[in-house]
Amino acid sequence: MALKDVLHDIEGYDELEREIEILRKYGPDHVERAEEAARIMAVLHPPRLSLKVSEIIEETPSTKTLRLVSAKGDLLPPFMAGQYVNLFVERDGVRTSRPYSISSSPTQTAYYDITVRAVEDGFVSRLLLEDTRPGDVFESTSPAGTFTHNPLFHGDDLVFLAGGSGITPFMSMIRETADRGLDRKILLVYGSRDPGDIVFKDELERIAARRKNIAVHHVISEPPEGYTGLAGFITADLVKRLAGDVTGKTFYVCGPAAMYERCLAELASLGLPRKRVRTEAYGPPKNVTAQAGWPKHVSADDVFTVKISGGRVLSAKAGEPLMVSLEKAHIQIPAQCRSGECSLCRTKLLSGTVFHPEGARLRKSDRQFGYIHPCVAYPLEDLEILI
Amino acid sequence: MAVYDVVVIGAGNGGLTAALTLARAGRKVALLERHNVPGGCATSFVRGRFEFEVALHQLSGMGTERMPGPLRGILSEFGVLDKLEFVEMENLYRVVFPGGIDVTLPTDRQGIVEVLGGLFPKEKDAVASFLDLVYTYSLEMVQGVFFRDPLISKEKYPTFFRYTFRNVEDVLDEFFTDPYLKAILSVYWGYTGVPPRLMPFSDLAVILWAYIEFKPFHLKGGSQALSNALLDAYLKAGGEARFNCAARSIEVEGGRVRAVVTEHGDRLETSYVISNASTVHTYLDLVGSHRLPQDDLLKIKGRTVGPSAFTVYMGFDCTPEELGVFETSNFIVATIDMDSASEKMRTLEPQDWAMFSCYDVSDPDFSPPGTCQGALVCLQYADPWYRVEPHAYAETKYRYADAMISLAERVFPNLRAHIEECEAASPLTHMRYLGHPGGAIYGFDQYAKDSAFFLTNQSSIEGLYHAGSWVTGGGFQPTLTSGRSTAHAVLKAIKGR
Repeated sequence: MALKDVLHDIEGYDELEREIEILRKYGPDHVERAEEAARIMAVLHPPRLSLKVSEIIEETPSTKTLRLVSAKGDLLPPFMAGQYVNLFVERDGVRTSRPYSISSSPTQTAYYDITVRAVEDGFVSRLLLEDTRPGDVFESTSPAGTFTHNPLFHGDDLVFLAGGSGITPFMSMIRETADRGLDRKILLVYGSRDPGDIVFKDELERIAARRKNIAVHHVISEPPEGYTGLAGFITADLVKRLAGDVTGKTFYVCGPAAMYERCLAELASLGLPRKRVRTEAYGPPKNVTAQAGWPKHVSADDVFTVKISGGRVLSAKAGEPLMVSLEKAHIQIPAQCRSGECSLCRTKLLSGTVFHPEGARLRKSDRQFGYIHPCVAYPLEDLEILI
Repeated sequence: MAVYDVVVIGAGNGGLTAALTLARAGRKVALLERHNVPGGCATSFVRGRFEFEVALHQLSGMGTERMPGPLRGILSEFGVLDKLEFVEMENLYRVVFPGGIDVTLPTDRQGIVEVLGGLFPKEKDAVASFLDLVYTYSLEMVQGVFFRDPLISKEKYPTFFRYTFRNVEDVLDEFFTDPYLKAILSVYWGYTGVPPRLMPFSDLAVILWAYIEFKPFHLKGGSQALSNALLDAYLKAGGEARFNCAARSIEVEGGRVRAVVTEHGDRLETSYVISNASTVHTYLDLVGSHRLPQDDLLKIKGRTVGPSAFTVYMGFDCTPEELGVFETSNFIVATIDMDSASEKMRTLEPQDWAMFSCYDVSDPDFSPPGTCQGALVCLQYADPWYRVEPHAYAETKYRYADAMISLAERVFPNLRAHIEECEAASPLTHMRYLGHPGGAIYGFDQYAKDSAFFLTNQSSIEGLYHAGSWVTGGGFQPTLTSGRSTAHAVLKAIKGR
């Protein structure tokens, strides 16, 4: 005797069997649920977008906005002001990518604007600024990122500290606040090298003139002779002078790597709690060997071999993120923030050790079981990885 | 071309234990996972200085070294026990009716009788008898069903035969009069999404018994550590794993599995597939409805896609004590009308039932020093979220999260002021990461008609098997166990062939 022989003795069993029979006859048909998750995510968060350059707008001598529409002709997915797309590009036969904050307002998704500034040795920025024409098509990720206004705890009194092209996520937030008439108080302190470098200058002024809740201040680090506006860098004193009492205000910082060091140190002197300071991810360090904890016996030019489990062997420079070495060897792994934050590139390290700069968002279990973020992982010896 | 004994689709709990069982038995196995890490629901993510546990609230079935539970046995058999550090929770749970009763149940039977007897003196004996029933039922179930007693009969196991399909509400009515007492003892209904009126007594009895008998646990590094340990054991056993590699289709020929094709176009030849993906996705998308045997279509036609969840993950800039949080597991119940509370899971209205887990209470290392975190969760069906305009999604999500926090603040008034990081996950978030229809976290609804007696882990297609919540119950212990039993079924089939 087994359970199956006595099932009918369980009270209620026969009734349930009848219920199941009825449901099999008249119950919900799941056929309409085919590809349900994929269909819904295709609208909200497709894994890949195909973006066509519709217009190129010159903002300043060094900065252009690429207006991107869906190559398929439909609306692009929604995003939150402050989010970025990771744009894939191919140059000299190497496919790589760079995250760009969307600078347009999230109130419409007929297009996304990304605003690109020329960077020294900018492998990708040069391609986008010099070799890109309307009609060109790029692949990208869906919008992502957590450098956004979180109404659950950020409050409505916001201070934006921007440096150079770091204005882009703020531009989207300011445009949204203006477009929707949001009840948010925004103080933008925007550092540029010289007055001709200020991106979105006219539009910012127009918005600030029209909206009482949005104030804009420019700070020029290399002012021309006779410049009467604010000059120098964004300091704690300046912030205090412009913002007044900082209690309850949430500060957002976005700019080039050098700005974070300076600006966050200045903010620290204001004694703000951690939750009141939000920073955007800012890519891999320029010189990783200068980071605290980098082992002295390894130099940036040391070359190690990387074995892909069950596959190829390639070489990788210690001073270069593993993701870049993989790309140079034409091996693609998922990439998104390229700053160690989003975890999309997470990869299992089977042997060897890597260096992660501070700020790589590894979990306890990653450290315990050897998971790395190749976008900010630097080989310190020969490696084997599982992809 | 690559040929495998078995291809396992999905590295969730069920897929991992299935793949591991097969690899340890010497089979050549390929494990495919669309995400970059193993675990499925069993994972975590980082915001600021916090690492948020996604899914695991109370791990059941562990038991202590001296009195090991079934899950400890399985994990030890897999050789992963010494890779993990488990943390026992001090109490079973705290239930608070804002402005009313506030009670914490210990994890021992007599202790529960004392605590509830103190609050409901007239019903103290009834509590003891109810727990007797819970124990008698569970022990009969274990002996008769789990250990497959060949002499099983309704004379030998009268409680099992009488109570299995009775609903919780009926049984509680038989024992108690106070509606609050009933609500406290059946509070786990909100875990499963099935209100007491519809929840089979067998489910509540076994959940209560397992947590009391084997204690609720968590583990260092969270559920991702468990997933990682299982994957490591699998790789060590010679298993092959491919990440960022979803299955695109299962090839069927002459009613038998032939191969699995990946999203990258690789064809893995095999005669056996264990799918840890949802049955709906496996049948309709991977096999294809036009090639699906009528019988399989009927199997899923009789069922309804179950709830997903809405979770607010919060990192706080203070200790649990400063928040007034003294228990790991806190249920906040704003109504004793469980039917209306369960109906709200199908709307975007503020919920009346939520669970607030603060792991730092039982594991002070869980968050950075001086901080703690809370996962505030309620179950939610995806349906109302389908009707939200894409452009209104973020705002809707925040509004919903805000209402959840307001509910929690009726018990812990200072939560908002101490939030340092905060992220919300809706049913659509779960759908995005799991690929399940409805973002379901427990597979199909778990009504009496959906209990194990009516389910099979095998398709009508020869060689196609299932593991995970869609063919058992939801939760960690059931899914981890299910992968292992499905693998045993496949091993038997391979041997017999």
